[in-house]
Amino acid sequence: MAYVNKQIKFKFLELVPLLLLFYISLNGHSVIDLKYFSINVHYILVYYWVLRQPRMLGYGFIFMSGVISDVVFGLPLGVNALSLLIIAAVATYARVVTVRITLLSDWISFIPALLVANFIYFLSLYFSNYSVDYLFLFKNSIFTFIFYPILWSVFTLILNLTKS
Amino acid sequence: METSRDDVGIAIRSAFLTKSTKQKFSLFALIILSIALLFTETIETKPLNFFRAFVKDAIYRGALVVSAPSKSINNFSGFIKEHLSLYDDYGKLKKENSELKNQISGKDFLELENNQLRRLIDEQISSSSNLLSARVMLDKQSPYLNSFIINIGSNKKIKNGMAVLDSKNFIGRIVDVNYFSSRVLLVSDLNSKIPIITEPSAHHAILSGHGKNKPTLEYLPENHNIKNGDKVYTSGREGIFSPGIPIGKVRIEDNVVKVLLFSDLSQITFVNINLENINKIE
Repeated sequence: MAYVNKQIKFKFLELVPLLLLFYISLNGHSVIDLKYFSINVHYILVYYWVLRQPRMLGYGFIFMSGVISDVVFGLPLGVNALSLLIIAAVATYARVVTVRITLLSDWISFIPALLVANFIYFLSLYFSNYSVDYLFLFKNSIFTFIFYPILWSVFTLILNLTKS
Repeated sequence: METSRDDVGIAIRSAFLTKSTKQKFSLFALIILSIALLFTETIETKPLNFFRAFVKDAIYRGALVVSAPSKSINNFSGFIKEHLSLYDDYGKLKKENSELKNQISGKDFLELENNQLRRLIDEQISSSSNLLSARVMLDKQSPYLNSFIINIGSNKKIKNGMAVLDSKNFIGRIVDVNYFSSRVLLVSDLNSKIPIITEPSAHHAILSGHGKNKPTLEYLPENHNIKNGDKVYTSGREGIFSPGIPIGKVRIEDNVVKVLLFSDLSQITFVNINLENINKIE
């Protein structure tokens, strides 16, 4: 019985990133917008799990979650999906070329991921004739980068729980 | 140590093209699919529109279910706040009630006078039956777009471009119609540009949204004489909205003509859709 309970707990914890991914997309909480700053939780979630435990977050699910975010936010279909896949691509590349993963190496490689993803986001919206607040987008990128270690710690805790 | 070009090539191939363990799709294929999806957004065909409407309707329903717990928590916290401010509210309402009682007598006189004058000029009073009510289904304020979803769509003959009102005040227009739902783009959105007319200064301009900030008036004549408190109405120049729908009043801040909306866009539960110009919208 204890073994079965442990298996259920293990399976549930393995599903946490996926559930979180779809929850924030459907609930429209992928960008947490507070009074003075905003953080893109979606980017951090995808980047961390693709880098650290890719089998828990399939690329197909990331694509679907991006499409859901597009619909919920009223953006052209494919904008968020594309930027999330770019984040996943940079994370995958970082995973392939990195031998030892530390918070610092994760954090530094998150910079090109953010830059490329936001550039693609900007281009997609520009060609779709959508106006967005670019200053907001810039501030959002800065704070997403700053808050990365906090979410990194939370996700590492979940990851360690799945291993224990 | 030197990194050869081959190593980078191998790393890129391994990252983008290979399907790693438990991955059913390669990243490259999904990126191409996303780009294709972006391009199909520009194509308007009946089957594609039907597919898009179906997907969007399904996602909106899913989002409605998923956001139910957080909505309940928000409602509960609102309920608690209302109870806590009950005493203050009572005081304010009492004061407001006495002010309104004083105004009633004056209003009765004006109404009587208005009716007599209307009879005198034989005016036909237009009916308000061309308004269709809808409920706000999802209000996920995106940091980039100010819009919400209402619970009616092409099933109730809703079309893109229709004016959306909160009571009698203009708040936005329909920008995306599905079968059971539609998206309303609010006047505060960056993408919103509405032709307006000011009163009493009678200047035509464009009301332009700025996200979190107040909408402003653009393309005003150089020597305009707009003053604080001037009313802003739809001009009806584009031929889709009816002219004379109230929007807000002018407030000039640092030489920028801003508009204070008559409706609080964060507090909207029900809206009216103006079907008056339904035949013009095709």
